[in-house]
Amino acid sequence: MAYLTLKERLLIPTYDNPKYARSGQVVIDMEKCNGCGNCAMICPGGALYIAGIGKDKKAHLMEDDFPNCMSCNDCAAMCPRDAVKVSQTYDFGRFYKILHRGGLSAPRKF
Amino acid sequence: MKERNRGDYGSMLRRAFISKGVDMAEKLEVEEKPASEDKTGSMYKWEEGMDWNPVERIILERRSVRKYRDKQVPEALIRRLLEMARFAPSAGNSQSWRFIVIRDKKTIESMEKYAQLRAKFFMFWLNWRTSPLGRLAWLYSQIGIRVLRNDLHPIPHGALAAMAEGTLKLFQGAPTVILILEDRRGAAKPELDCGICGQNIVLAAHSLGLGTCWVGLVELLKYGIKWRRKLKISYPYRLVEGIAVGYPVGNPDGMVERELHEIEWYENSQWKTVL
Ligand SMILES: Cc1cc2nc3c(=O)[nH]c(=O)nc-3n(C[C@H](O)[C@H](O)[C@H](O)COP(=O)(O)O)c2cc1C
Ligand code: SF4
Ligand code: SF4
Repeated sequence: MAYLTLKERLLIPTYDNPKYARSGQVVIDMEKCNGCGNCAMICPGGALYIAGIGKDKKAHLMEDDFPNCMSCNDCAAMCPRDAVKVSQTYDFGRFYKILHRGGLSAPRKF
Repeated sequence: MKERNRGDYGSMLRRAFISKGVDMAEKLEVEEKPASEDKTGSMYKWEEGMDWNPVERIILERRSVRKYRDKQVPEALIRRLLEMARFAPSAGNSQSWRFIVIRDKKTIESMEKYAQLRAKFFMFWLNWRTSPLGRLAWLYSQIGIRVLRNDLHPIPHGALAAMAEGTLKLFQGAPTVILILEDRRGAAKPELDCGICGQNIVLAAHSLGLGTCWVGLVELLKYGIKWRRKLKISYPYRLVEGIAVGYPVGNPDGMVERELHEIEWYENSQWKTVL
């Protein structure tokens, strides 16, 4: 079972070291995306940007700065073309280690 | 034996049964209030795998809205939302909340400006990536995170950085802002009561075509005496959260994927973990 070790309790992660703290990740379906910019407009982390011209105008995920994407999936809800979706949730180590969680899932009808 | 004032026949009987250890519910014929057809509770009967009912859909489709139209929300509609808050459950029915509604564009903008200034100030000391203090800021940050482990959790830490840069606005330009204050003398956990009444507001708002966003970063306003005075915040009240309300741009609401959480389940003398 997952738990926090004493060492983990005492160590605060270095936020810009991907080993201890990794932002959320999204996948953008380049076929579907038309670069409308809806997702980038509402992204709370400023994690998305639009680049390219004409047919190549697409949304992209920022790769450098931490932390940006908080895997909220608000971009997915906003996208008119169903082109963007969180593929990996944010993941912290040490003191902020994520405990007792499973994978991503849409609401399930029990 | 002389019965006290409130000792009607029912309570005398009840006391008699309790003293004999008899299950009241079995022995007493409780007169049941007839179920009314128009109450939501009896409108939807659960069957396994059934479709979402409207209440469930509102809960599942609510998303935080971060881009609002310029149009102001009618006053009566905000009043209606606040009415939802009044009927939220609270510990000991202590209703330890207080609301401040701000609908003045200039004031909202100056709150945003102040928050950005504060964020810049904190980031000067704490953001080792941008601060001229460099490694010293890293050291302050490590100490700060230990002291304010919730406020400086990586996500709000990042939000503060984004706010300092100007990419994240406090209220995202919402035309109405509801501030929730906790009465610190409330029963048990007043801060929790504030969360519950706020969620009533938020869910009702989304069911009426509005968009909302919780704004925990109103925390930044607390550092300004000017704002505490202007918003008339003083003991026993403490600013807890803000809720931005307005008409959304586009269609931000919708169901999304989220993580499953492990749930410990004890039944038939056995533990199991369900996801
Ligand atoms: C107590 C609380 C405080 C929040 N503070 C902020 C905030 O300051 N700024 C912001 O953009 N979002 C804020 N949020 C919104 C969360 O980021 C959002 O609820 C979360 O990412 C889940 O996304 P969803 O609301 O679309 O389901 C807050 C939410 C809660 C519950
Ligand atoms: S909202 Fe969807 S279609 Fe528009 S830019 Fe973002 S991913 Fe592309
Ligand atoms: S999941 Fe949320 S934070 Fe991440 S890119 Fe989408 S909108 Fe931005």
